[in-house]
Amino acid sequence: MTRLVLQTTKWIYGWRWLVLPPVVGALMLAMLVGAVVVAPREVVEGEVQRLMYIHVPSAISGYFAFAVVFAASVGLLWTRDMRFDAVARGAATVGVLFTFMMLTTGAIWGKPIWGTYWAWDARITSTLILFLLYTAYLLARSLADELDEQAARYSAVYAIVAFLDIPIINMSVRWWRTLHPQPIVVEGALPMGMQIVLGLSMLAIVLLTVWLIVLRAETEGIGARATALRAALDRREGE
Amino acid sequence: MSAVAAVLEKDLRLLWRHRSGWLSAATFAAISLLVYAFAFDLVGDEVRPLLPGVLWVTFLFAGTIACSRAFTDEVEQGTFDALLLAPVPRTALYAGKVLANCLALLAVEVAVMLLATILFNQTLISPVLLLDVTVGTVGYVSLTTLLSTLGARVRAREVLLPVLSLPLLVPLLIAGVRATDAALELPAGSAPWTLLLVVFTLWSLIASALLFPLAVER
Repeated sequence: MTRLVLQTTKWIYGWRWLVLPPVVGALMLAMLVGAVVVAPREVVEGEVQRLMYIHVPSAISGYFAFAVVFAASVGLLWTRDMRFDAVARGAATVGVLFTFMMLTTGAIWGKPIWGTYWAWDARITSTLILFLLYTAYLLARSLADELDEQAARYSAVYAIVAFLDIPIINMSVRWWRTLHPQPIVVEGALPMGMQIVLGLSMLAIVLLTVWLIVLRAETEGIGARATALRAALDRREGE
Repeated sequence: MSAVAAVLEKDLRLLWRHRSGWLSAATFAAISLLVYAFAFDLVGDEVRPLLPGVLWVTFLFAGTIACSRAFTDEVEQGTFDALLLAPVPRTALYAGKVLANCLALLAVEVAVMLLATILFNQTLISPVLLLDVTVGTVGYVSLTTLLSTLGARVRAREVLLPVLSLPLLVPLLIAGVRATDAALELPAGSAPWTLLLVVFTLWSLIASALLFPLAVER
């Protein structure tokens, strides 16, 4: 059973170069057209509301990427396979990127709508803490080279603690402050046209995230191999 | 259990012999109180609402400095590998370290509170406040001690440890400050802050105790 799952996963993964780039490209194009042209103009907020089509999917992508970091870190501690470390580092970079995008688009939207770039609202604050947590993770991991197993294990432990801390952070910050617009997507209060474009954007950006994580993880893996080769070469020259 | 006691005894003895490390953390705490006093003009009656924040930030900073040393000496002397070779569960080693750090930091914190009582002419120390501070200390020390295992290996650890630990400790800081607000009879909102403090402490104790053996595995 396990072998079947493993083989299927491998088979799917083998298609990544053929499938992901064109699909992501087409979806991103569709998302752009959808968000800028097709989606109706919001009556109260105006054009700036179109940022939602990047902002909300970025949030989902950020959490998705951090979940990948968590899973890869558990995998690393469990199996001691350094490939998991490459995946974790790759996913953390992508997650930090999308969290940053979420914060920036939020600030640009916030100025005309709330009258301020930054508000100490619960969600914004917890997103900022999330951003700091994973920046710290990347910083800690970057202090030792790719082959350092001890540093990889340490960073994995940190990533696990950080991921488990997220619910507590969200809870505490929510008790501390609240002002963010409550999600209205679920209740169906969003017009049909907007819902379709938002759905499309989510698909596009989540797939983009998957592709970026694959790219980063493989780059990190190649980087680790290059470092190993260089070290081996140095040793031989030393002999 | 005896392993915990042995590590605790060893660490307390070392703390006593290497007083300079702990004294510098305590002095740092005292000086930061003074710095806050100058920076925010902490005089008169309006100081009371600011005190919970001042106290907890001082605790967290002094705690980070103190805990960052937890494994440095061990690694520098090469005794950490010897400790790891001991035929006892590694969680016991961790528990001994945390206990020693907690005891030392509690002493520093009580001293800071006494100093604040004198400097700002406020009645601070009450059983409720001591309880909150103790719970919070166990919470942040357990997490910072786990994180300081890296510390021993990296040159930039003094800077890195707070960068790693403080974002994780935001819930503890918020809950600690608000619980202290309540203990000092200041407005603290309706949320159950003490409960949050207890939950965070339990979470960080359990998570750190489970992850410590994995973090130090060779």
